[in-house]
Amino acid sequence: MANIDLEQRDLQAAATSHRGDRIFNRSITAAAFVSLVILAGIAIFLGAQAVPVFQQLGFGFLTSTAWDLNSDPISVGIFGMLYGSILLALIALVIAVPASLLLSIFIVFLAPKKLASILTNAIDLMAAIPSVILGLWAFYMLNPQAAEWQSLLHDYLGWIPLFQNDSGNFLGTPFIGGFILAIMVIPITTSVTREVLARTPPELVNAAESLGCSLWTMLRYVALPYGRGGIVGGIMLGLGRALGETIAVFFVLKLIYDTNWYHVIESGGGSVATLIVSRFGEASGPFEVQLLLAAGFFLFLMTLIVNMIANLIVSRTGRLKK
Amino acid sequence: MTTTFDPATIEVLQQQKKTHPWRKRTTKFDVSVAIAVAVPLAIVIALFLFSDFPGALIMAIYLPLQMFASGCAAVATKGKRGILDSVIIVNAVGASVFSFVVLLSVAWSLISHGLKALSIPFLTQNSTYISPSTPLEYGGMAHAALGTLLIVTISALIAVPIGIATAIYITEVRGKAVPYVRFFVQSMSGVPSVVAGLFILTTLILTGAINTSAFAGGLAYAVLMLPTVARTAEEVLRLVPDDLRTGALALGSTRARTVLQVVIPAAKTGIVTAIILGIARVIGETAPLLMTSGKNDATVTNPFSDPISTLPVSIFENVAQPYPDAVTRAWGAALILMVMVAILFTAARLLGRNKIK
Repeated sequence: MANIDLEQRDLQAAATSHRGDRIFNRSITAAAFVSLVILAGIAIFLGAQAVPVFQQLGFGFLTSTAWDLNSDPISVGIFGMLYGSILLALIALVIAVPASLLLSIFIVFLAPKKLASILTNAIDLMAAIPSVILGLWAFYMLNPQAAEWQSLLHDYLGWIPLFQNDSGNFLGTPFIGGFILAIMVIPITTSVTREVLARTPPELVNAAESLGCSLWTMLRYVALPYGRGGIVGGIMLGLGRALGETIAVFFVLKLIYDTNWYHVIESGGGSVATLIVSRFGEASGPFEVQLLLAAGFFLFLMTLIVNMIANLIVSRTGRLKK
Repeated sequence: MTTTFDPATIEVLQQQKKTHPWRKRTTKFDVSVAIAVAVPLAIVIALFLFSDFPGALIMAIYLPLQMFASGCAAVATKGKRGILDSVIIVNAVGASVFSFVVLLSVAWSLISHGLKALSIPFLTQNSTYISPSTPLEYGGMAHAALGTLLIVTISALIAVPIGIATAIYITEVRGKAVPYVRFFVQSMSGVPSVVAGLFILTTLILTGAINTSAFAGGLAYAVLMLPTVARTAEEVLRLVPDDLRTGALALGSTRARTVLQVVIPAAKTGIVTAIILGIARVIGETAPLLMTSGKNDATVTNPFSDPISTLPVSIFENVAQPYPDAVTRAWGAALILMVMVAILFTAARLLGRNKIK
């Protein structure tokens, strides 16, 4: 980091003393607010599409689950989709959070340097795989495997309501959808938790170990409390990604216009993003497109809130302040 | 300020740091670990060879078995408090193996299925007169690859200047709104890709301002690319030492000249990395393109007039078709796309090694 910190006052003074600088400053400032304009634009334009939908359907649009435009009056509601998105994200987090924590513990505290750097690169590469390719892979490679795992779960743990499956069909389940989301969430969460754990002061770690702490005691009383905020923030960022992911889930989840409450290995579930993509291609008219835009508005609100909370937590722990 | 040490002193200090006397390993420890790894592995291999349990069940047996064995080894060497450690270590290694397996499985399936599709016509022809049932010898993905490149170029032309300007605002202009700008850029990076597509659809396409075209797709991609470019560029501009800025200002340079002729050239490779990462972020996004650029079997070069096919949309169209040749086409397109991503990723890594020259 620099050793001389420029005062903002000096910069302002230098910036306004010259006409070219004033133009430069203004154009840069204008460009910096483009992101705000786009965010506001998304909220306003999609929100405007949601208004007529609400006028016609009322709050039933958010609290019921149906997609039937031919009945009279039409019955349309996205509750099952909103709930399905959350259920999928929860399944993804149940798998991804322990996995990313363990991965970052392994990279930071256990692995030899070379292996750690290979693993870090591998996980970054995992983040770079486009979701459409992961979806293709999941459809042809993961599906048969996952069906086998789920039927085993059903055979041995079927007495737990969570693992009930009456249809005998183990494809298109929320579990597979959540699993493919977990594969996308792991790189995001790991990159944050790894960085946070690596910032644990080495003198604290060494002191704890030389006092006779085991690995677990050191993690429990030094590393994890030290990076708690960053870890929570990383998990929230992963949650934001899981809520908004579209294509990979589209390939593996069987979309049903009904609420699948907790039968995670029963075929059929919901997801707002997937609903939008699957209905968009065969939308029957402008009103159905408007319904999808309204659904997109609520998806946007949900992910925006999750991401804002995540960013507040992460920046408060100082990861982004340098 | 950096304090200068005698180089010899630094070496001695580093050596001292590396000796962790409390981490001494004994022979007993090594032997216990070896036994704890070998025995469960032997049991599992025996189960695999001589029983008719399904493979997944054997894997499900293996993990608890390995944890139990490692727990025993831990009790033997470190006493009761080693148990939790051994559980953590076994699971951490397990998680690492899992991520390698996923990555290798994706790579292997892409190569083994994708190579079947690759041929000269596949790389040079478009899909006019091609239906899902047409044999693989006819038609190709050239039009889709061209479409992807066109859309990515358009989005880079829009998002890169704005993204870099945002980064300059945060690190160079340092106006009053810096915390807010940062916050909005970060929130924007969480916008779901399908929402970016809907945004362009409702503001520009449904109102009739522009056609379903490469330009519309480029705008949707730009929404997704902007935050990545801005955040990465911010990080690299931050690495430019303030000495360069003060030096330039002291020589009488204006702020604009300082930024354009000193700071940006100093961070040149880093900024190229930011652009590459931005492109890699968007190149495989499918959902926004379904809404903004559509699909087209013919080759399109005019970015404003007609719908245009892209690699992600071609994959999307060909997956789950009942014809094996169509599915192989999807794998082939996926392989081309992944090669593009891999090239970008490697380029970013190589450049990222020395961000400041």
